[in-house]
Amino acid sequence: MPESRPPEYIFPERLKKARELRGLGQPDVAKRSGIQASAISHFETGNRKPSFDNLRRLAQALDVTTDFLMGRTDDIGGTATADRLYRNIQQLKTGDREFIEDWIKSKTDHARQRKPDK
Amino acid sequence: MRNAGLFDQAAAVAERVIREQGISTLPVDPMAIARSVGIEVKEKPASSSGVSGVLIRLGDEFCIAYATHIRSLGFRRFSVAHELGHYFLEGHFEAIFADGPVHESRAGFFSNVKYELEADHFAARLLMPNSLFYAALRSVGDGLAAVESLATTCCASLPATAIRYTECVSEPVAIVISTGNSVDYCAMSRALRDLDDINWIRKGQSLPRNCATRQLSGNPERIRRAERVEGASAFQDWFGGNLRSEVSEDAIGLGEYGKILTVLYSIELPEDSDEDSDEQVIEAWTPRHRR
Repeated sequence: MPESRPPEYIFPERLKKARELRGLGQPDVAKRSGIQASAISHFETGNRKPSFDNLRRLAQALDVTTDFLMGRTDDIGGTATADRLYRNIQQLKTGDREFIEDWIKSKTDHARQRKPDK
Repeated sequence: MRNAGLFDQAAAVAERVIREQGISTLPVDPMAIARSVGIEVKEKPASSSGVSGVLIRLGDEFCIAYATHIRSLGFRRFSVAHELGHYFLEGHFEAIFADGPVHESRAGFFSNVKYELEADHFAARLLMPNSLFYAALRSVGDGLAAVESLATTCCASLPATAIRYTECVSEPVAIVISTGNSVDYCAMSRALRDLDDINWIRKGQSLPRNCATRQLSGNPERIRRAERVEGASAFQDWFGGNLRSEVSEDAIGLGEYGKILTVLYSIELPEDSDEDSDEQVIEAWTPRHRR
């Protein structure tokens, strides 16, 4: 089950878990991600919150998904595709909503084509 | 007014992005920056007049879609830069995605939501980074003409450029953005803020009765046509206090935006009284020799 706690509690644990699973130290992750080792230490203690850019770099460096780091899936390589996240949903007019739905559909279709059913 | 220090982190992150991207000339292209970090950039259909910009995430893939119903290229670029702010600034992912879809999002300095204002400040600094903006500022003169020249160089919107102008200029200058006769936003240069005996112009405050901006404010058609007026008004009409000085005032309608941008400049300040007293002290202690 994906985590229901807020990401500020989940992310530090998931980052540490993924790093240890890959057998890497903080300096190794720093080198791979281009993020300073001190920042990674702060992320793991929860003293600093990451940006989306940080999340993506860390996910790439650790070969996990941002969804795993955010606690939206327990699968280390998984993506919470059903969890459609975008800002302003309440304010979005129909045209905007359709535009976004189209983009998401094109991405999920593309992903499905790349990963044929087993 | 700008909350000094509150948005320094946003500015610092924007400057870091500029450095990392190796950008050394104006204008800065926010669309190119987005694409360089793997974010797809798409235009929303012109028929879709909803939000100015939107950041969409699906797993590890991101897309920034921006509105095209407002023709201003500067406005579009600011919208993309604003969404990049949400991408690059720490802590924003929790606020804008994980806490639920409760945030308003209209790029352009008028939101009260901290994260939106942070993204606005990031956007302004990304499009007008210090190293490049100060260099451009040296040769632009003053008043609205200076703001327009900088906006052209930076390919940025007039309001965003005007705000950056007040942050960087050394003279006493203020910019006011208003709707009807009511102030939406004001930014003042440091030289003006440092004056003791003035009232800072606040959101919701009425425009002075006899100012040039009022000539435009009652005529939406003139605002839509981006007409301009120039005038001079009394410093006290805008800022209260006891300083008897004149202020040059340039105002321009912001087109479909429906607002007016006013630039207040050429403000003559009293001579520094400390300097006077220094001269007097020097004079008093200078030995006088009889010939």
